[in-house]
Amino acid sequence: MLIGPTGAPFVLLLVVLGVAVPLILIASRAQSARRLAITLILAASFAGCVVAVFGFLGRSAPRLDLSWATPFPFSLALDRLSAFFLLLVCAVGIPVTIFAGPYFDLHYSERRRNWTWGFFSLFLLSMIVVVTAATGFAFLVGWELMTLVSSGLILIEGDSAERRHNVFIYLLMMHVGAAAVAACFFLFLPYSHSLDFGAIRGSGAGIPAGIRAAIFLAAFVGFGAKAGIIPLHLWLPRAHPIAPTPVSALMSGVMLKTAVYGLVRFAFDFLGGGPPWWGYVVLLAGAVSGLLGVLYAIAEHDLKRLLAYHSVENIGIIYLGLGTSLLFLAYNAPLLAALALIAALLHTLNHALFKSLLFLGAGAISSATGTVDLEELGGLQSRMPVTGTSFLVACCSIVGLPLFNGFISEWLTFRSFLAGSVLTNTKAQVVLPLMVGVLALIGGLAAACFVKAFGVAFLGRPRSAESEHAVEVAVPMRSGMVLLAAACLLIGVSPGLILRPLASLVQGLIPGVGVPEETLNIARIMPWIAATVLGTVALVGAFKRRKRIARTWACGLPGLSSRMQYTSTVFSKPIRFVFARVYRPDRKIEQLPADQPYFPVSISYRSVRTTSYERALYRPFVEVIVSLAYRLRRLQTGNIQVYLLYIFLALVSLLTFLRFQR
Amino acid sequence: MRLTLDILQVLILILGAPLVRAIVARLKARLQRRRGSSVWRPYAELFKLLCKEELVPPTSSAVFRVAPMVLFGATVCAAGFVPVVHASALLGSRGDFFLFVYVLALGRFFLSLGGLDGGSAFGGMGASREALISSLAEAPFLLGLVAIAVLAARADIAGMVAWTLGQNVFNISAVHILALTSLAMVTLAETGRMPVDNPTTHLELTMIHEGMVLEYSGPSLALIEWASAIKLHTLLALLIALFFPWGMASSGAAWGIAVALLLYCAKVAVLMILLSVIESAVAKLRMYLVPDFLGVASALSALAVIFTMWMKR
Repeated sequence: MLIGPTGAPFVLLLVVLGVAVPLILIASRAQSARRLAITLILAASFAGCVVAVFGFLGRSAPRLDLSWATPFPFSLALDRLSAFFLLLVCAVGIPVTIFAGPYFDLHYSERRRNWTWGFFSLFLLSMIVVVTAATGFAFLVGWELMTLVSSGLILIEGDSAERRHNVFIYLLMMHVGAAAVAACFFLFLPYSHSLDFGAIRGSGAGIPAGIRAAIFLAAFVGFGAKAGIIPLHLWLPRAHPIAPTPVSALMSGVMLKTAVYGLVRFAFDFLGGGPPWWGYVVLLAGAVSGLLGVLYAIAEHDLKRLLAYHSVENIGIIYLGLGTSLLFLAYNAPLLAALALIAALLHTLNHALFKSLLFLGAGAISSATGTVDLEELGGLQSRMPVTGTSFLVACCSIVGLPLFNGFISEWLTFRSFLAGSVLTNTKAQVVLPLMVGVLALIGGLAAACFVKAFGVAFLGRPRSAESEHAVEVAVPMRSGMVLLAAACLLIGVSPGLILRPLASLVQGLIPGVGVPEETLNIARIMPWIAATVLGTVALVGAFKRRKRIARTWACGLPGLSSRMQYTSTVFSKPIRFVFARVYRPDRKIEQLPADQPYFPVSISYRSVRTTSYERALYRPFVEVIVSLAYRLRRLQTGNIQVYLLYIFLALVSLLTFLRFQR
Repeated sequence: MRLTLDILQVLILILGAPLVRAIVARLKARLQRRRGSSVWRPYAELFKLLCKEELVPPTSSAVFRVAPMVLFGATVCAAGFVPVVHASALLGSRGDFFLFVYVLALGRFFLSLGGLDGGSAFGGMGASREALISSLAEAPFLLGLVAIAVLAARADIAGMVAWTLGQNVFNISAVHILALTSLAMVTLAETGRMPVDNPTTHLELTMIHEGMVLEYSGPSLALIEWASAIKLHTLLALLIALFFPWGMASSGAAWGIAVALLLYCAKVAVLMILLSVIESAVAKLRMYLVPDFLGVASALSALAVIFTMWMKR
């Protein structure tokens, strides 16, 4: 069954990504087949963008029902919220695919390349299924596929014991999350009698408060594990850095966003908001994730791990918006709730754009120099100007500087905090304006972190022979990055383009609200700010300046070497010193020989950030589970008579249960 | 008329900035029993630097030369937010204080990058210390402004000033005192003044801002120096506008503006005297005491926000 004028391209999108591309790649290992597959992925993503834009603007809402072919009701539908997230998947998918072409060619053998592309296509498909699902079954199928395919992609990259351990943790956390998500759906079942989203939505209001709270908590944990909020973030800095870089871009840029989608779907669409403590829970999770995420990121010098921790931080910022929105809903301020929700959704889109750009930049760096360790980089801006400039745009965006897209959503979040002061509830009235300070601290630390990341990697002099001889990456890789950078700038300078449809989307989720005035204001003022800043820059730049190349001042000594520059570790030292209690570093100094302290032959020093609180949080769970498993092992005697007894007892107890159920 | 007035205010902030810096330096010299240089010297120096050729390190990239321009552009833009003689501002009606603070952050971000691009140890040192201070200064800066914004129920700086103008001079609340203290502390930190940073030294143990700009020369240095002067002047004007706006012109009448301008000069003079006394009397803080200094500012501003709850009724 198919409704709507954009139904055909939507089906095409699913068929191409799910069937055509994998089949082509299985059938042939030729270069031309791969080219065809990449072109098809691009075409499908483009079609997806078109479908999504129509859906997002509310023009058309295709619905696809496949229940006749599946054991459980399986249908996909596109309302505005789904369309927004579909746009996010496809819009990020296009540049990442363009980038990935030469990247995979460079890094993988023929055989693995086909596997990678096949999984890549399925990964896109799984995310599309998640965000367009219209039944619980479809959602869970997509959710599971997304986890499995992405871990497959991580394993294609390599197969060491450490990698397997990290993938194991990833799968474990994802399945804990998936169990909680499944629980959410099943908790609805007694009231909605069906897992169709329409039925669930209709039953939302009639559910007793206790069950609603249970559903919310299950959704919070389930989607929180996927989103990587602290303390459920354990997998994120392990899984993201070891995936192939374009896949890291998709995982960080898009896959995490499906968790935001899920939380918005459940908390806003199905449950329609709840008591104030829901808001406080989400707000607290956001504040903790934001602060700890950025503090951990600063301490990293592996660029991909640094970016992974920044995903935790940005999910924190999104959660701050969502929590504020839930609070406003609970206190009957729907217009302000709409403002905060717009802020959260816009930050979701913005983060998808700039974070995938940052990961692609990291991929370009590793293609050019063979490493993503900041201590080995330096001076890349003059060697790779396009990569550098795109990366700089992404850095400014993630820091939330004006003229770049991250600012718009952070500004909206700030304004919704400030608006909290008009509430009549005393607690919320103080807590929300104080959150301005938290977000400002997060923003300030993020700025420090990206001055470090960009400054150490791209500026100054190269710190290794590889970065000394780095050359600019291939044209498709560059164009992928430039596309994303242009999108960041476009939203940053002219936010009205995206804010107006977002406001209509939010009106669908929070019935009866108008357009928040702040969104109109920022849309009007940003072009003026851009004109003022850029106009002044142009005016000053037009001024004729003579320049002469002269050696850097070296205090009168013959010359500087790259070892005299600040490194990434020492750059962040002051901040790590001030926040030492967060890191609790584990330091070890070894001097050889030990009996001659003043004339050592070698000194080795290592300092590792301990994760003591992580251990303290997870260890009890692990111990309980392991001891339970040991006890359960006694049930497994290997004796067939005992197993028959188990079956008999299970049957009897089920029958008894059914007898007394009524 | 309104537009002319707004442009006039921006021009006052931009063109008067070197003078403010020079007067502070001169006052400091007098307090230290030196003669000090002429107050017009910064203008001559800016002119001289603008005419000179620029020395560029061989390892640097385009960022090195773009950074001072972005810094200057952003600072000029920030000057457009602050009312001086009339409760309105060029960008201040729709742009609010979050935008103001973040436009300043844009300039600082690029200046730090420029510092790192020189490829020497000093630039990195300055950028690293600046990163620490600015990341900790942002929260008290915004919270202090939030406190006033909550009282005024406005978020645009011009609107906040207009609200304050409507209040009785003697009706000063605890919120105002707390917010003023914390914003004054932030101003010292943001503009690189004692006790946070020493604007007159090139000693590697103490310098922050000067470390970042050590490699700059010629027109780029002129832009950086001018921008930091504008930033100082703008932040002083912000303190005046938020906490002592009385005397600002209420209409566009010429004599009203003249009086407002004179009063503004007097208020800035008082702040300059205070600044020079502080700078002469206080020793520079050790690097790792600066977070405590900013921590106190954060606590004060957080208290200011909490106290707004009782002031609103």
